[in-house]
This record gives sequence, structure tokens and C-alpha cells, in this order.
Amino acid sequence: FRYTRNLVDNGNGKFNLMILCWGEGHGSSIHDHTDSHCFMKILQGNLKETLFEWPGKKGNGEMTKKSERVLRENQCAYINDSIGLHRVENISHTETAVSLHLYSPPFNTCNTFDQRTGHKHKVTMTFYSQFGERTVCVSTRRDAPR
Amino acid sequence: LPAGLSQWFPALEVLDVSGTGLAEMGTELLSLPCLHTLLAKNNRLGGPGSLPKGLEQAPLARSLRVLNLSGNRFSEVPPALLQLRGLRSLSLGGNRLHGIPPDIQELQSLEFLYLGGNFITAIPPELAKLPSLRYLVLCDNKIQSIPPQLAQLHSLRSLSLHNNLLTYLPREILNLVHLEELSLRGNPLVVRFVRDLTYNPPSLQELAGRTVKTRNVPYAPSDLPESLVRYLSLASNCPNPKCGGVYFDSCVRQIKFVDFCGKYRLPLMHYLCSPECSSPYSSASQSSTSQSESDSEDEASVAAHRMQKVLLG
Repeated sequence: FRYTRNLVDNGNGKFNLMILCWGEGHGSSIHDHTDSHCFMKILQGNLKETLFEWPGKKGNGEMTKKSERVLRENQCAYINDSIGLHRVENISHTETAVSLHLYSPPFNTCNTFDQRTGHKHKVTMTFYSQFGERTVCVSTRRDAPR
Repeated sequence: LPAGLSQWFPALEVLDVSGTGLAEMGTELLSLPCLHTLLAKNNRLGGPGSLPKGLEQAPLARSLRVLNLSGNRFSEVPPALLQLRGLRSLSLGGNRLHGIPPDIQELQSLEFLYLGGNFITAIPPELAKLPSLRYLVLCDNKIQSIPPQLAQLHSLRSLSLHNNLLTYLPREILNLVHLEELSLRGNPLVVRFVRDLTYNPPSLQELAGRTVKTRNVPYAPSDLPESLVRYLSLASNCPNPKCGGVYFDSCVRQIKFVDFCGKYRLPLMHYLCSPECSSPYSSASQSSTSQSESDSEDEASVAAHRMQKVLLG
């Protein structure tokens, strides 16, 4: 019971366009964007974006917050790995949120980061639905669907 | 609510009065026999008249399945709410709750409970008596510890605990067979191996009790005073798989780290029957965390593999 990733268009392999649906209190882990461009637009509700610095080489110790902001309906945001890492969350306990994401080039793995230690872990991302059809989960137990 | 609601719309099944500034919902609700979903979020409910009197006898008590009261001003769960025996989904997110009443166990059909964004400091063990509970959201509160009894929530699939004041979890959390998602970020979880050195030596009664239990000394109720028979029945098994001993009141609290999917190390509180029960290496090297990890690995690896979506970072 977490936010869902719903693929809308894969642009002939050049990009992934997807809709994310966030329930109350749902948030993502801190993640990178695998050298791709990432555009995000809020279609409904509000999402809080917290930017983090990349952890140091040793990855020991609390990660450094750069900034945070609340994105309102129709606002857009952009990020790539040279800007930093981020966590996106719906902090509302009463409203759901919906966001539109464009990733170019498309990617299906990224790294998630433990805020307390900076340790990173590669994960494979999966879709809840693709082009309107529910995607049945066939991942092995080691995958962490995002 | 407008008077005559049930006369005009007797077949009403879903009522959404969210964001209308409602301060109370009156007796109009009591005569709606088919109502299964009531959404009243973002209002001014929370005072005495929020829910009508006489709810217990109304058809609503059996028909209502979904109730959303998030974004209101409830400082306690209204007792009338606990009469809604058929309730499957309850949201009181974003209110002013300071606690959860033990009588929450009355809502035996509850599957989804959202209590995020309140001021809750503790969880009553009675919450564990909800056999159908699948999703439990307690994020953004002030919770300092989780009662081990929560491990009895056999249907629990998703547990949201992020942004609280937890320093460790009870090891019983590994017994939640169907738990797939656990969010723990934003808690001051202990990161280093901690050992509670305050150990009160067991009483003579405890030592005798331990011997009776571990050596299977036979006894009948006629052999002992009733109080001692009861005492012997309260023995807890030492969780150390290499021990097999029991303890009564005297135990050592120890935090051990459990590896989840090779990703995160969660601090779990263990109760052991004596300091000697911990890892054979730990007394020699308290600062080494690798020994404590390997010690917990066997007992926790099976459960940890199940929890694929532990969200810690």
C-alpha cells in the first residue's frame, strides 16, 4: 500500500512518461536518477520535495539536506544527478496527490539511499500499470518495487 | 446535516460532506439504513455533538463500512464511533489525538486504520486484537515504543511508522508473517550495538521456577499454592535458540541488529533470560557489530526476506 507508478507512454524507447498516484502519507526513498533528465508536474494535491547532497565516498553519517519545498498543483520541477538526490512525499493526511513524470532516457534501476548513513542500494523499479493495464508482479524477492 | 435527509434519500449509500465546515452530525444519520460510506474530512468535527447519540441501535452501526474523519479536531476517539461494528476502514488522520482507546478492539471488522498526523504517544496492546487489520498507519506521531503484542496482528500487510520517536523495535515484529511493507524513516533508531547492563539478579522464587520448568519437574495443582501454580504458567521462553531456558520477571534487555534483505539493519529489542544468553562472542567484544549480526542472522533471515519493502531511508 504505497504510491503507484503507472506508465502512460514510452516514446519509442526515448522516454518514459508516467503518472504517480500518492495516497495520504506516502513518500519515496531518497533516490538518484541514473544519469537521466527527470521532469515532474503536480496534477493534483501537493508533494514535498527534499533535496539532498550526494553522500561522501565513505557513506558514513547523516546525509545533508540541501533544501525542501512544497510543490502545488500545476507546478513543475526538474532534477538530474548533477543537481543532487531527492525524496518526494505526500505529507497530507487528508488528500491524495497525483504527479506526471517524464524521464529521458528511460531507466528502470536507480539507487536508494539511507538518510542516516548515506549507504546506497540499487533497486529495480516496476510499474503498477502500463498503458492502463495492471502489471502483474513477476519480480523475484530481491527486487524492491518502487 | 439537513433535516429530512433520510426521508428524501432513503437509499443513500455514500455520503460525502467533506470540506463543508460541519461541526456536528446529528440524528439525521441514524435513519439512513443503507449508508456504507461516510466521508466527512476537513470539517470542524471533534466536539461533543460530532457523532449522534443512539448510534449503537441505529442501522448505521451495522451498515457503515468506511468512515473518513481526517482533518478534523478530534482530541480523542469518540466512544460512539466504537459502536460501528461493521466498520472496515477508519481514518482519523490529521486530528489532535493523544492516544488510542483500548476499546478500539470493538471494531472487529477493521481492515484499514489511518491515524497518521496526530499526537499519539503510545499504542495500546489491545490494538493487536483486530484480526482482520491489514493496513495500519501511525506515521507522524510521537510514538516511543511498539508493544510486542502487535505481533499478533496476523493479517497485517503494511505498517507505517515513519516520523515518530522510536529508538528500537520489539523482536516480535519478525513474527508478522504477512507484513510486506514497513516504513521507519525519521525515527531516532539506535545505530550501534547497545546492551542494557542493568540486570537484576533473579529472586529465589524465579530460580526455583526456572528449574521446575526447564527440568520438567512434574507437579499437580494439589502440590502447590494456587499463586505458585499461576506463577509457573507465566514462564516466557528465552528467544535465544541455543538456550531453551525460561524466565519470569528477571531478564536482560538487549538490542540486536537484524539484517533486512541485505539492505538495512534494524535494532530489535530482545529479552534474554540472563546475560550469558547473548552471543558467546559479545561479552568478549562489545564494540564489534559483526558478531551481533551473525548471531541474529539465523533467527531473523527468514522473516527478513519476507519484508521486501522495508522503507528506512
